[in-house]
Amino acid sequence: MDATLLTQMVIGALLGLSVYLPLRCGQLSLATPGFYAIGGTLAALLSTRVNALGGSDPLYPIGSVLLEMTLAGLLCGVLASGIGAVVLRLRGVYLAIATIALVEILRVATLNQEAMGGAVGIFGIPQPFDDPAGYAVFTLVLLALVCWLCDRLERNRLGRAMAAIRDDELAAACQGIDTERTKLVAFVLSAVVAGLTGVISAHFLNSWNARLGNFDASITTLAFVVFGGSRTWAGPVLGGLALTALPELLRPIGDLRLIVFGLVILAGPLLLPQGLINPALLGWLKGLLPQPPSTTASGEGQR
Amino acid sequence: MTTDLTQLLLNGLSIGAVYALFALGYTLVFSVLGVINFAHGAVFTLGAYFTFLLIGGSVGANGLLAGFQLPFAMPFWWALPLAGMAAAAVALVIERIAFRPLRDRGADPLLALITSLGAGVVLVNLIQLLVGAESYAIPTTALADLPPAIKLLGAQVRTVQLLLLLVAAVLLVILSLWIDGSRSGKALRAVAEDPTTAQLLGIPSARMIQIAFGLSGFLAGIAGGLVGLSVSIAGPYFGIGYGLKGLGVLVLGGLGSVPGAVLGGLIIGLAEACVPAELSGYRDVVAYGFLFVVLLVRPQGLLGRVMPTKV
Amino acid sequence: MNTPLLALEQLTVRYGGITALRTISLQVQSGELVALLGANGAGKSTTLRAISQLVPAASGSIRWHGGTINGLAPERTVKLGISHCPEGRRVLARQSVVDNLELGAWLRRDQAGVRSDLERCYGLFPRLAERREQLAGSLSGGEQQMLAIARSLMARPTLLMLDEPSLGLAPKLVAEVMEALQALHRDGLTMLLVEQNANAALAIADRAYVLVSGSIEQQGSAAALRHDERIKAAYLGP
Repeated sequence: MDATLLTQMVIGALLGLSVYLPLRCGQLSLATPGFYAIGGTLAALLSTRVNALGGSDPLYPIGSVLLEMTLAGLLCGVLASGIGAVVLRLRGVYLAIATIALVEILRVATLNQEAMGGAVGIFGIPQPFDDPAGYAVFTLVLLALVCWLCDRLERNRLGRAMAAIRDDELAAACQGIDTERTKLVAFVLSAVVAGLTGVISAHFLNSWNARLGNFDASITTLAFVVFGGSRTWAGPVLGGLALTALPELLRPIGDLRLIVFGLVILAGPLLLPQGLINPALLGWLKGLLPQPPSTTASGEGQR
Repeated sequence: MTTDLTQLLLNGLSIGAVYALFALGYTLVFSVLGVINFAHGAVFTLGAYFTFLLIGGSVGANGLLAGFQLPFAMPFWWALPLAGMAAAAVALVIERIAFRPLRDRGADPLLALITSLGAGVVLVNLIQLLVGAESYAIPTTALADLPPAIKLLGAQVRTVQLLLLLVAAVLLVILSLWIDGSRSGKALRAVAEDPTTAQLLGIPSARMIQIAFGLSGFLAGIAGGLVGLSVSIAGPYFGIGYGLKGLGVLVLGGLGSVPGAVLGGLIIGLAEACVPAELSGYRDVVAYGFLFVVLLVRPQGLLGRVMPTKV
Repeated sequence: MNTPLLALEQLTVRYGGITALRTISLQVQSGELVALLGANGAGKSTTLRAISQLVPAASGSIRWHGGTINGLAPERTVKLGISHCPEGRRVLARQSVVDNLELGAWLRRDQAGVRSDLERCYGLFPRLAERREQLAGSLSGGEQQMLAIARSLMARPTLLMLDEPSLGLAPKLVAEVMEALQALHRDGLTMLLVEQNANAALAIADRAYVLVSGSIEQQGSAAALRHDERIKAAYLGP
């Protein structure tokens, strides 16, 4: 497979996971592209302006990328805990709109800051790999880590608290779950994943501009999750991989490709309201495996 | 009043009136379904293109319809309402395809965010495919004999802006009277307040929802035509910016509130007009800034009601 | 026996995996006032919601004048002459009293008839007449209940279904509402009355059914049930 396309797909999967995390506790946040843009801008600025990081070396040191990721993760985490403490008081569509507004404010602010590249963007971001395969491996490792984290989250106490909030926030609070804190943790994790993805994305794309984190991106990433299914982490991963690949695979049909892409987004929820990875499919897969009946079936009573 | 101030006010009010028309469409649909129609911006865009074609404009060289021109041309005042109706028809199709199937199935209403967005993506790219990405201007000569500018309160003001304000005001008044005073307007409010009870009274909620979509499309189409006339049609994507700002207006006024949408539109229009030229890059932030503050301080919006938690 | 106006035959209703009604059968004859009694969660409201098609029947049939009406749109049942006055009043709080009443007559086209029914409602509940321009949300609980009943009457129903009209009302108001229902019954209106207040319901009903966790446990004339020891013990108090 083409390593460049694979990298794009994996980045899509990572962003899907970032949207999925707050959604696991029922919070529809569309802030992912904002934090993605913060990570990307930070990486672009550091690697092109701070010579000590090795921007003029023939190959940009991986250590510097990791340093950028650490900084971006910290920055996004801190910002998200501040912002989250405020916006997570909002519910449902209000939270969605507030996070859309945040992303737009951030985009316009970046557009107007020459230091952050302004409308043109930042070019010539140094490359840590001389081969697209390097990016593919790097992003795949990152994806594997995030998937592992999400898988843990679905099984441990925090993850069960998140699921309880998703089912019924009031009931969860009555059971003694600290709903505020749980939601905030999910929001912060989501921001960190988006920020880390932004860093590697900036290097991969070689240039960065404010348009990469706009409203379209908010909705496209949400589509990854809806399309793939939001019951388990495999859904957004699959949705992100598939929906990122789709416009590229459709390139041969030229101008029609975005129309087909739109049709897929439109038809996805209509045909598969619970996404590709849905309880029915999971149940079917379970049936294929020769193992004793499990007690952790999540799709009870949903057919 | 000084010329500058008059011009400033008029700029703000006329763009605010467009925002209000736009946000009213969101509000109508939100009040009956509780979801946001993300295809609304695309319907607005279509309204502008419909108006352009109906007054006899011809398509540029870049789309499948290159060089296409309707066999007839009509004055702007005929073209605008017709474009509104065509946009309403498109909104009805969107309802049928992207909203009704989800409702019939009792699916999570939030899925409609995605399906409507999909419909919007299809429409916008269909426009691009058919007529290309270039911008189109609706010539002010479409207004026939009207002078391009007139004197008002001692200031020279663009006629187009006055017209925009006037048309929007008339539509807003008619709509408010209809909603508050007519039998079907009251039925629409009943569906918005409590769809189940409305059904128990024999009100066909499915039809009222269609009416809400039709009206919302009509208003968006008219707003699109008016913006096309006063500024220009900046390409197939130009509705998206309005769509996002419309969200700001919607939240500022209160989701589901008709007078709120009008007030919100005017406030954001005026506030944007007051942004000094050297900060014009930040003009687009005004709406989102308002939106954000309002959400945090008064989530029900200026004229909205506190939403009871659904049980 | 005549074809009953309304007949439920072996009706079963499920919410998700939970069976709310288990093969219940009941009839309402034209002109009767039938009470449906039972504890909280016994399935009384579900029965009414199934009749007005707000919830689908899993099996069994709902017959109106002998013909099955399963699967109709809820607003069509109103057209047939079934008026459902829902639990918790559900008045349209943001519209005036008179607008609420006029919306109750949404399906009717006879303006003169609507006018005279409006006056009849004001006659039945004089408090509503005094507050006709007030927003329904500003009425007291008792007034809202009266409005809800009056609104259901505005459809000029053949069958009026009432869900807990006495819920949350002071005893004096309960008596007032029950008197109004009795007056409507005397005028020949057929009613299906869901009540937890078995005393009040049995005082005005002709017949009654008792629902216990989704099944009909007992039925009979109101007079007989009033003196039934089990009913006394369970619902009527000492």
